[in-house]
Amino acid sequence: MPEFRLPDALARGMIEHAQQEYPKECCGFLVGPTGDAREQVRLTNIDPDPVMRYEADAKEMKRAYDQLYDRDWDVVSIYHSHTHTPAYPSPTDVKLARDPNAVYVLVSLQDRGHPDVRAFRILEGRIEELSVVAEERAS
Amino acid sequence: MAVEVRVPTILRKYTSGAKAVEGSGATVREVIEDLERTHPGVRGAVVTSDGDLHRFINMYLNDEDIRFIGSLETPVSDGDVISILPAVAGG
Repeated sequence: MPEFRLPDALARGMIEHAQQEYPKECCGFLVGPTGDAREQVRLTNIDPDPVMRYEADAKEMKRAYDQLYDRDWDVVSIYHSHTHTPAYPSPTDVKLARDPNAVYVLVSLQDRGHPDVRAFRILEGRIEELSVVAEERAS
Repeated sequence: MAVEVRVPTILRKYTSGAKAVEGSGATVREVIEDLERTHPGVRGAVVTSDGDLHRFINMYLNDEDIRFIGSLETPVSDGDVISILPAVAGG
């Protein structure tokens, strides 16, 4: 299985975001130089049904993209939470996945005491799981 | 009018990997048409066959979402920056 290297601090940050938004789904980016997740960008879920779906606030994305552009960084990963289902892309996730280059990270709080974090690529409707390799990194 | 168009990763396959390209025109639509000539494929990724902005594409002219200021008919000026942002959504 291909690997996705995920710094511990970012995994903790996404779980914290998911817990804070519970029972709504959270969403955001992991950003960095090509393929290297360095920082987390929290985005607001503006979907009218935020418990079941997510849509990231476009204005916040614009700000994030402007900063990425200035730093010559990219969106490495798009993350969101599932509050009542496993950390696996839903049919809606697959249908709406636009970016074949992004790693889609799912944080599940189905068992709130034991959050689960998994990573996938979604290519033209096909789901490919990546092995999450936890990385301790001094920031 | 020459404007800079910032291209998201999913559209860089049409721009030989470039993250920004230059386009010209008097409106956002004309800039997209111009880009289609130099980078075929861009128009179809942004505009529907009916000529509307795709539901899952956001486009900004400088700091304004064009949906609120005239959509594809929004006039552009020299030095403006158009940013194309794919929506991020799921369930």
